[in-house]
Amino acid sequence: MIDADAAAASGVAHGDVLLALADAMVGRDDTALAQARDAALQTLGPEGLVDAVGVASNFERMVRIADATGIPLDDRLFNLTQDVRHELLLDSFAAAKEAVENDLRKP
Amino acid sequence: MSHLSYAAATVPVRGDFAAAHNRFWKRLAAPGAWWSGAERVSIAAEVRQARSCALCQTRKNALTPAAVQGEHDHLGVLPEAAVDVIHRVVTDQNRLSRQWFDSIMAAGLSAEQYVEMIGTVVAMVSIDSFCRGIDVPLNPLPKPQPGEPSHYRPPGAAPEQAWVPMILAERATGAEADLYGGKPTGNVIRAMSLVPDEVRTLQDLSAVHYLPSGQVRNPTASAGTLSRMQMELIAGRVSALQQCFY
Repeated sequence: MIDADAAAASGVAHGDVLLALADAMVGRDDTALAQARDAALQTLGPEGLVDAVGVASNFERMVRIADATGIPLDDRLFNLTQDVRHELLLDSFAAAKEAVENDLRKP
Repeated sequence: MSHLSYAAATVPVRGDFAAAHNRFWKRLAAPGAWWSGAERVSIAAEVRQARSCALCQTRKNALTPAAVQGEHDHLGVLPEAAVDVIHRVVTDQNRLSRQWFDSIMAAGLSAEQYVEMIGTVVAMVSIDSFCRGIDVPLNPLPKPQPGEPSHYRPPGAAPEQAWVPMILAERATGAEADLYGGKPTGNVIRAMSLVPDEVRTLQDLSAVHYLPSGQVRNPTASAGTLSRMQMELIAGRVSALQQCFY
């Protein structure tokens, strides 16, 4: 998910279009968003575009809840994701670093 | 109260988006548990103001936000600590720290006020982002409704490892029995449970934007026209871009 090329090669249908839309929504470049929106509209259709925008905007909310409340990872999630978190370098994210420093169960 | 609609969008928008957003708009205008309707609408307005704050832009580009001092470009309605919470959560949320949270509490905000504020901020971020994504103007903010906050604090809330008290699944009883559907749930859902209506809003919006909470742990569940893999690709990318550990 960190490397766009790798994620686009994941085999997910229209992954490149979805990633471009996600990137543009998180970014503040309206021109880039317009281009990504047009590409998604052509590829996914109007319903697909709206669904994709809905998911992206949902996670703009969820990441802020996690970061603003200092929650630790759930035990189940922690145990299931140790390998992949190491592989994707998620431990380097700033919030995770702070958690480690605080000896909480964020890896 | 004005009715929020996406009928003017250039693409057809499922009716459940407008319905869920209208439910939040109605709640936004009304007194909450710890903020009045006027204060809640002011929080929403400050969310939009944060996008153009010069201090936030400078801090965002600094090695650490603590290295840049100054005053936010704010609307002048809310307490300074509340403004800082809103601006930081909107523009630089992945560098929030326990030390920063403690400074906010020391400045006079309560944990209950903080959680309700976070709930309002994140709902606004999400709905405004949705509007931007489908290329429609931001919805006009609602007119505040009169009344006093309820000051309801759920008896099951207790300190855990998070910065704010939360309700464990087994303590979600009585008025909070509906919160988690009687099932184990993730900390990201429980995070807002100090103000139970924030959990209800979170689940209401997520059910339309993503999946109903009871389906999230089912890897085969999907909604709308996207496959689950497509949904998770978007979710993962948005989370990674914002360096979310969760």
